[in-house]
Amino acid sequence: MRLIQNGLLLSAGVLVALLVGCSSAPTTKSQLGDGSQNGVSTSKAKLINAEILNEESKSIAVTDIYYKKEGKNSSFVEETRNKSESTSASAITPQVIAVDADKANSSALTGGPNSSAFPVKFTNLADPASTSSIAAQTPDANLPKVADSPVSNASSSASSQTVKKSGYESKMEYGEVRYLASPIRGVLINSGYKVVQAKPSVPTQNQGDEYFDIVQRIKAGDFGDANYVLYGVLEEISFTDNADDIPGTKSSSQQVALDVVVDFNLVDTQTTQIVASFIASGGGHDVRIDGRDNNYKPSMAKLMKEASLSLAEDVAKRLQDQNFVVANPANDKRTEGRNYKRRLDDDASSLKVYGK
Amino acid sequence: MNARKVTLLAVLFSSSFLLACSGPQVRYGDAKGVETVNANYGSTDLQMIAESMTRSLLQSKPISASKDAPRVTLAEVKNKTSEYIDTTVITDKIRTQLLKSGQVRFAVSISEMQNQVDELKRQNQTGLYKSSTISKTGNMQGAQYRIEGSIASIVKTNKDVKDVYYVFNLNLIDNESGLIEWADEKEIRKTATR
Repeated sequence: MRLIQNGLLLSAGVLVALLVGCSSAPTTKSQLGDGSQNGVSTSKAKLINAEILNEESKSIAVTDIYYKKEGKNSSFVEETRNKSESTSASAITPQVIAVDADKANSSALTGGPNSSAFPVKFTNLADPASTSSIAAQTPDANLPKVADSPVSNASSSASSQTVKKSGYESKMEYGEVRYLASPIRGVLINSGYKVVQAKPSVPTQNQGDEYFDIVQRIKAGDFGDANYVLYGVLEEISFTDNADDIPGTKSSSQQVALDVVVDFNLVDTQTTQIVASFIASGGGHDVRIDGRDNNYKPSMAKLMKEASLSLAEDVAKRLQDQNFVVANPANDKRTEGRNYKRRLDDDASSLKVYGK
Repeated sequence: MNARKVTLLAVLFSSSFLLACSGPQVRYGDAKGVETVNANYGSTDLQMIAESMTRSLLQSKPISASKDAPRVTLAEVKNKTSEYIDTTVITDKIRTQLLKSGQVRFAVSISEMQNQVDELKRQNQTGLYKSSTISKTGNMQGAQYRIEGSIASIVKTNKDVKDVYYVFNLNLIDNESGLIEWADEKEIRKTATR
């Protein structure tokens, strides 16, 4: 009987202790001030921890924007052949057709007269080093014959022949535009990706279209341990300068625009599968009232900045359309879906296997 | 007798002189009152047209069914009558009444563009203004609709009667599609007899 009484007393004591323990917890919280405390706890739940984000984040490398441009060099070659009874000798006298240096060096990026093109390097034909290679590379059939004037000497034992050739030599130029991709990298960083610095791609002397072989670069380790590579090829860059009357006024408006169109592909470095592909465009615009009348010169730096920023915006939009990037988690409260469908797809539980 | 005649003449002369010197009599009238001085286009016609058109426009589908106040601009109202009628007064009056309703927003019309352009040029291109306070070039809002129309008249007279018939047409045109979304007319007949 006593044992039962003791047991009851013990259990009652434990219950009381438990009740007191439970009731004390909210009291402590209220002492701390419930308003601020609640605010902190909820915001903590919603905030993205940078460390966690970095651990979770996939990495991506963004190449500078590739371009390929066909350039034409004007060339003029004068070849004199001297023939004697026993020997024949020839001398090549390369000359340069007058080319406006400003025109040659100007480009769309500087808004010069050659503005529809990228910088085209004009080979100095007077330089023996460059001309010897051109003479060796350029087949005669490609160059129109301007004059073929054999000159016979009075002596029957010797003759000289002068051949003049002029024309254009086509030359492909490959390279990377360095300043267009930085805002794109910024967008991806904002979206939570770790952006990896890619090694620059330097074109070789006789570069061909293999310059665009991104898989080769991935295999060569140009992008470190990046999970994805976003690479873009410049399709077109155009600079326009137009002026129009403003109806109902005596004024006119000068509209200057720099527009770029870039073809993008996003490659998974593990599978070399293209996971997103799109064309994005960007533009920088400047409007000046009565600009033509006042000989207004637009700021190309400002136009370029605007163009690259708007290109990045368009890239972000296209990536969202293709479910690669959802939204900037810092600005978006829908943190559950913050990162990317792509990341979820890559989880082992939902991994898709693509057959070749 | 002669003296009385002279005195009477003098009184008449002096009173007529005083009347002549006193000038025209000025008084304020009711601006909304009916004006029937003659059969020509007048203030009552203007008020009738503006009131009728505003009421009809506000009931039109593009304006009444729009969630946001649509952007409208004034285009030309052609005067096809033989009289001189300043049609901008009619459209301005319609615009004022529409704006007061709060259901429509108006973009500057072509006739007001010079002032707008001059102001933008002053703020953007003189380098005198703090950049954060400048109303920037390139941010003007285009009108979704334009209002244009015409006023025409038929006048018939004989030696005793002058009959004038006015018809005022107004159209609301969608600038993008080119569709006439609303149209209405106001007819006025005035007859003057001798």
